[in-house]
Amino acid sequence: MNIDTLKEYTPKVIESTRQNSLMQAIALGIPSMKNEEWKYTYYNKILQQGFAPTYTPATVNIKKDFIDKHSVSGNNIVFLNGIYQPELSSLKPSAGVVFTNTANTSEQISNDFLIELNNAFATDGLYLEISDNVILTDLIEVLYIQSNTSGIIQHRNKIKIGKHAQVSLAEYYISYDNLPVYVNNVTHIEIDERAIFDSYKIQDGGEVFYITEQTFVQQAKNSTATVNTFSLSGAITRNVLQFDSQDERTLSNMNGLYLLKKNEHVDNRTLVNHNAPNCESNELYKGIIDGNAVGVFNGKIRVAQEAQKTNAFQSNRNILLSEDAAIYTKPQLEIFADDVKCSHGATIAQIEESELFYLQARGIGKDVARGLLVYAFAGELLEKIKHEALKLSLKKRIADLLNIEI
Amino acid sequence: MLKIKNLHVSIEGKKILKGFSLDVNAGEIHAIMGPNGTGKSTLAAVLAGKEGYEITDGTVEFEGLNILELEPEERARLGVFLAFQYPVEIPGVSNANFLKAAVNEIRKSKGLDNILPNDFLKMIREKMELVEMSKDFISRSVNQGFSGGEKKRNEIFQLAMLDPKLSILDETDSGLDIDALRIVANGVNKLRTSNNAFIVITHYQRLLEYIVPDIVHVMYDGKIVKSGDKNLALELEEKGYDWVKELDNVPAN
Ligand SMILES: Nc1ncnc2c1ncn2[C@@H]1O[C@H](COP(=O)(O)OP(=O)(O)O)[C@@H](O)[C@H]1O
Ligand SMILES: [Mg+2]
Repeated sequence: MNIDTLKEYTPKVIESTRQNSLMQAIALGIPSMKNEEWKYTYYNKILQQGFAPTYTPATVNIKKDFIDKHSVSGNNIVFLNGIYQPELSSLKPSAGVVFTNTANTSEQISNDFLIELNNAFATDGLYLEISDNVILTDLIEVLYIQSNTSGIIQHRNKIKIGKHAQVSLAEYYISYDNLPVYVNNVTHIEIDERAIFDSYKIQDGGEVFYITEQTFVQQAKNSTATVNTFSLSGAITRNVLQFDSQDERTLSNMNGLYLLKKNEHVDNRTLVNHNAPNCESNELYKGIIDGNAVGVFNGKIRVAQEAQKTNAFQSNRNILLSEDAAIYTKPQLEIFADDVKCSHGATIAQIEESELFYLQARGIGKDVARGLLVYAFAGELLEKIKHEALKLSLKKRIADLLNIEI
Repeated sequence: MLKIKNLHVSIEGKKILKGFSLDVNAGEIHAIMGPNGTGKSTLAAVLAGKEGYEITDGTVEFEGLNILELEPEERARLGVFLAFQYPVEIPGVSNANFLKAAVNEIRKSKGLDNILPNDFLKMIREKMELVEMSKDFISRSVNQGFSGGEKKRNEIFQLAMLDPKLSILDETDSGLDIDALRIVANGVNKLRTSNNAFIVITHYQRLLEYIVPDIVHVMYDGKIVKSGDKNLALELEEKGYDWVKELDNVPAN
């Protein structure tokens, strides 16, 4: 796809809002590496695989046991090539939980090409509304299953969590047949006062899976939001995660683990806007990069002048397993308040030779020894998972990827 | 079992071992004593296969096999075990996962299946008793936050778990109080058989009261300068290491 392809769509798009978004996307142009935000990620490489927007994605028959294999809670919402699949889904009915599949595209025009692309073409998505005081113990799972399509698959999600409610959501990016696919998601989350929201993103679609996704979290007074992003496999993955703290005493947690090999590429960009006093944000991203893989981390914290007594902590730690592996890491602090505690740190290290030798000296082969050490490094993020079944399943998956037994 | 002939080893061009020779047979306990900086730990590390050492001359055979070209894990699987002078802390790797990996990797090299979980637990319990490890030990990270004594006991515990043919104990006694020393020595004495052998590297004669060696070697400046029975350790303790320096000037036996 290129801009000319997009122009060909303009006569077909009838709705005026979509028309406006398409025009805006065309005006903005395809993201270029000259743009600071895209400095290390070559977006055109995704489009060069032959992906193009579509309103009528291809479909295939998927058996229920494929869903069961990928769901740990059995409480799930399934999308196949961007289209909701009621017969494959098994969301348990629950008082105070409203789910519909509607793409909540926005009429406001943004300055982001990918949001406008999503605005113009997203036909389906998750709309989830949790009423005040509802506490859900079951994890809600969303499965984005992709199968052999050159269509750009775009979900447009909106999640609203009521006052005092508690909800956990896991989103899985899954490939059905390991053929090239591209997903461009946009998700807006509104968290009301004193609510607690946990999100897990599991990106494990395999070597020819492309993802660009953007998640915007708005937090009201005293709310807690945690987003855990696990990037375990994928050709190019770009995650934009933004928190807006609107009122006092919000807690925002961002955790990320990326495990890269071969030519994989993951770009994590986070932004926390602290707009009110007495709020806290904690951020921990850890990367393990092997082969020719590239990791990018950009973490921005903005503390507005009125956001006094903000505590904001950020840490990005990386292990490079090969000489050709690379990480570009950049913290950005923009602090306009004077009474704040902010810290950031980035580390890039190799496997500790003395640790490796100690394990080898006990008969453990070099690969398994490395695997154990990497698994230990990743462990901190796995331990943050609050749902035991999900934790166990991710532990197993990561042990598998590292060729170790746990 | 082990035949070291005229071993010369350098680190970054600096000569450390200068013609070290030693024969160890099954069933024997050898003590190596010598002042700091003499090359005892270097010898242990070279035997275990640590990288970064330049072997300029000599041979090391273990059960008739030249092991100098082997990876550390291959040597361990053959039955060579080094109890580290400074055991390494490995945050995040539990003792249980570590030992399971080690036991299973060694079993795999012998064509055996993974150990059954129950057998593994039983084995752990049994061996933990041997060195009086506390119960929570197994879920803790390898050596992390362990006291000096716990680290050394953990080395002997691993030795018990892996049941090697040749064990090299590098100053396992240093930093141990008398109770811990007794526990460690007891462990070693119980593990001793006519089929395995020990090289006990130590600075002090004290340990050798508990682990009684068949042969004592005095090492100085990269080689053995005198060998004798256990009384040599006492003589050394009495005369001090200055005496050793004089010995260096006469040819070794
Ligand atoms: N990694 C190293 N790099 C340089 N010199 C070393 C290294 N390890 C040991 N040495 C030197 O080698 C000599 C022998 O050290 P070591 O084998 O530890 O002796 P011992 O165990 O008998 O005290 C010492 O002079 C020490 O400084
Ligand atoms: Mg030493």
